[in-house]
Parts: sequence; C-alpha cells; structure tokens
Amino acid sequence: MNIALINGSPKGGATNSGFLLEKLRPLLPQEAAISTYRIGPKALKNEQYLELLAMDMLVLAFPLYFDAIPSHLLRMLTEMERSTQSSNQRPQTVRVYAMINNGFFEGDQCKLAVELIRNWCERCGFMFGTAFGHGAGEMFGSVGHVPVGSGPLKNLGLALEHLVGSIRSGESTEPFFTQPNFPRGLWKLSSTQLFWNATAKKNSLKPKDLRRRPGMPPIRLPQSGGKRQDV
Amino acid sequence: MKMIVHDLENAGELPWLTAFGSGQDVIGIDNAVIRHCTGCFGCWTRTPGTCVLKDEYRHLGARLAACDEMVLISRCTYGGYSPFVCNVLNRMLPYVLPYFRMLKGQMHHQLRYEQTVKFNVYFYGEDLTANERQTAQELVQANSLNLGAKGFEVSFYDNIRQLKEVLS
Repeated sequence: MNIALINGSPKGGATNSGFLLEKLRPLLPQEAAISTYRIGPKALKNEQYLELLAMDMLVLAFPLYFDAIPSHLLRMLTEMERSTQSSNQRPQTVRVYAMINNGFFEGDQCKLAVELIRNWCERCGFMFGTAFGHGAGEMFGSVGHVPVGSGPLKNLGLALEHLVGSIRSGESTEPFFTQPNFPRGLWKLSSTQLFWNATAKKNSLKPKDLRRRPGMPPIRLPQSGGKRQDV
Repeated sequence: MKMIVHDLENAGELPWLTAFGSGQDVIGIDNAVIRHCTGCFGCWTRTPGTCVLKDEYRHLGARLAACDEMVLISRCTYGGYSPFVCNVLNRMLPYVLPYFRMLKGQMHHQLRYEQTVKFNVYFYGEDLTANERQTAQELVQANSLNLGAKGFEVSFYDNIRQLKEVLS
C-alpha cells in the first residue's frame, strides 16, 4: 500500500497542515509505504505527478483560503488532472483523502473545499475516500504538547479516527467537520490579543495601525480605444 | 468603477475586453506575472492593507475598495474559480481585517473599508456537472459573505462566445 502525504500549505517551516500530517502518520497501517510531498509556489516536476498517479492513496492537507483551495495547490490539482489524461497508469485505483484547517472557529466552513476536492476526484477518475475540516487551525502550533484525543485536541482525535477508519476499510464515507474543545468566544479573544495584536507589537505597530486603510494606488485604466489612462 | 478579473487568454478576445473593460480596473491573465499568496499574514501585521509580495498585485485590497462592483470571469474549475482568478482573489486578503466578527452564526473577518461591492461571477465551461454548478453557486455566496458584499449573482455559460453575448 503506497500512500502519499501531501502538505499543501504555502508557508515555509512548521505548518498547521504539517501538524495534521504528523499526527496522522503513526495511525496509518504499518505495512504502508509512505512518501511525503510539499506543494509550494514552485510547480512539481512531471515525474512527481507520475509518482502520485502510481499511489494507492493521496492524503492532502491544506489551509482554507477564501472558502476554497489555495491557488498554488489548485494549480497543482489542475496539472495532475492533465497528467491523468496523458498517462496510461491506473488512476481509477487512487483513493483521495483531505484534511483541511481554517482560521475561523467552525470546521464546517471547510465544506466547500471538500466539495471541490470531491469534484476534482470525479474529473480525474479518482475515488473520494473522505475528508475532515477543522476550525481554529492556528491553534495547533500552541498545543503541540497536548496528546491528540484529549483537551482542546479531543475532537481532532475523532476527526483522525474518522479518516483512518475510511483508509483502513477502503470505503468512502461522508466528510467530518469539527472544532477544538474550547469556547468560540475564547478563540475570538485569544486570536485578537495573543496573536494579531501581539504580532503587531513585534512589528512596532499598534492594534489601531492594523486597521489602516491604504488609498487607491496610481494605476492605468484601459480606455475604449485600447489606450490606458492614469488615475 | 468595476474591478474585472478574468482568465481569458485568447488574443481574439482582446477587442471585446477592451470595450467591456473601458474605464474599469481590469486584471487579466495577460497582465504581469502574479505570485501566490504565501499565507504570511504580512498584509495584516507588517504593512496593514498592502501585500508584502513585491509584484503588481500588492494593492488589490485598496483597488477593490475603490470599486463598487467586482466582476469575475472564470473557467469553472471543479466548482470553483480557475487558478489565475483564484490567485487574484487570494491576493485580496488585505481587503479584510484579521479580526473576527459573527455573521449568521459563523465567524468571519471584519471589513477594513466602509465601502462594499456587488459580486458578479460569470463561469464558463462546456461540460459542467450538476455538483460543480452547485459548489460554484455556494462558493460565490460564501465569498460574498466573507467579503461583506452587498449582493451577488452567479451565472454559467457553455462557452466564452455565449458569455460575451450576454455581457456586451
């Protein structure tokens, strides 16, 4: 059983998507041969697409961008769809799983990103296994020491169990959406005080500076004759 | 003014685009190379309201704030936007604030500007599935809520010719 763990976060270094993959890895079947991929702004090579097409399973982990898939990962998915059309490998056997995190609190804000992955699977001839969406993803970095399945990561434990259950059984199941085990108001408050305002301070800015409203920059608008006019 | 974001690549579309986009802020795939959002949050915490990536798309938040309508013309891709249109939308993150607000029982971003836009999305694609249409419809609705739009419309066309006839 060949499984590709694909980190679709565009950030460098430690990422929330990497955190989810790290927590999933020990739960995967022991006999599985696991390969890891990082999808950044730089495109994958052709041979890497062929490697992915030869996998039994793909596990995509990515952050939610504008209710959907971030553009660099979307570009990779479209390239992979092209590869399925030009390859004579066996895409029908590939099963796809997704772990999506978002910065809001509610995990179900990831549901459209799941549908996009499901529609992509249909276009590629892949089988959609299942997916989960988890809210408050930016929290993962600060609770790395907490065992999965307890405290604020209790529901993440259930989400991983859901995903692994489908991987082991080979059956497709409906997606699972959840959020951390602490109050939503606390997330709103802590993200404001401990993250945004604290980061502003590190950058020598005050909270009110984050609300700045830059004006329209000088740009050239096209005119009907094909010329462009400065504004 | 309208912001028009499109992914039309064929040079044959140029005369129509020139007429349709006259006097508007037009962002097309034929403009400068666009970089992907790297999720650094610099547009929120380092240079508030402006992206830190130094390309021609760093002022998209302020540019959108100068408009009263955003028009997206995109190939429908798995029920969402094409990679280019998605990329432009991702780079509009500085249009909103990092802080949260509650809307319809869910968390969303506070708006940076008082102005709001109407959101009009024209999808094209010859063999869209029912699921893709449904996803696209819901995606535009969700984006519109997140960006605090004052309204939205979504329409689908089998090809660019059909779309141009409606918009002309």
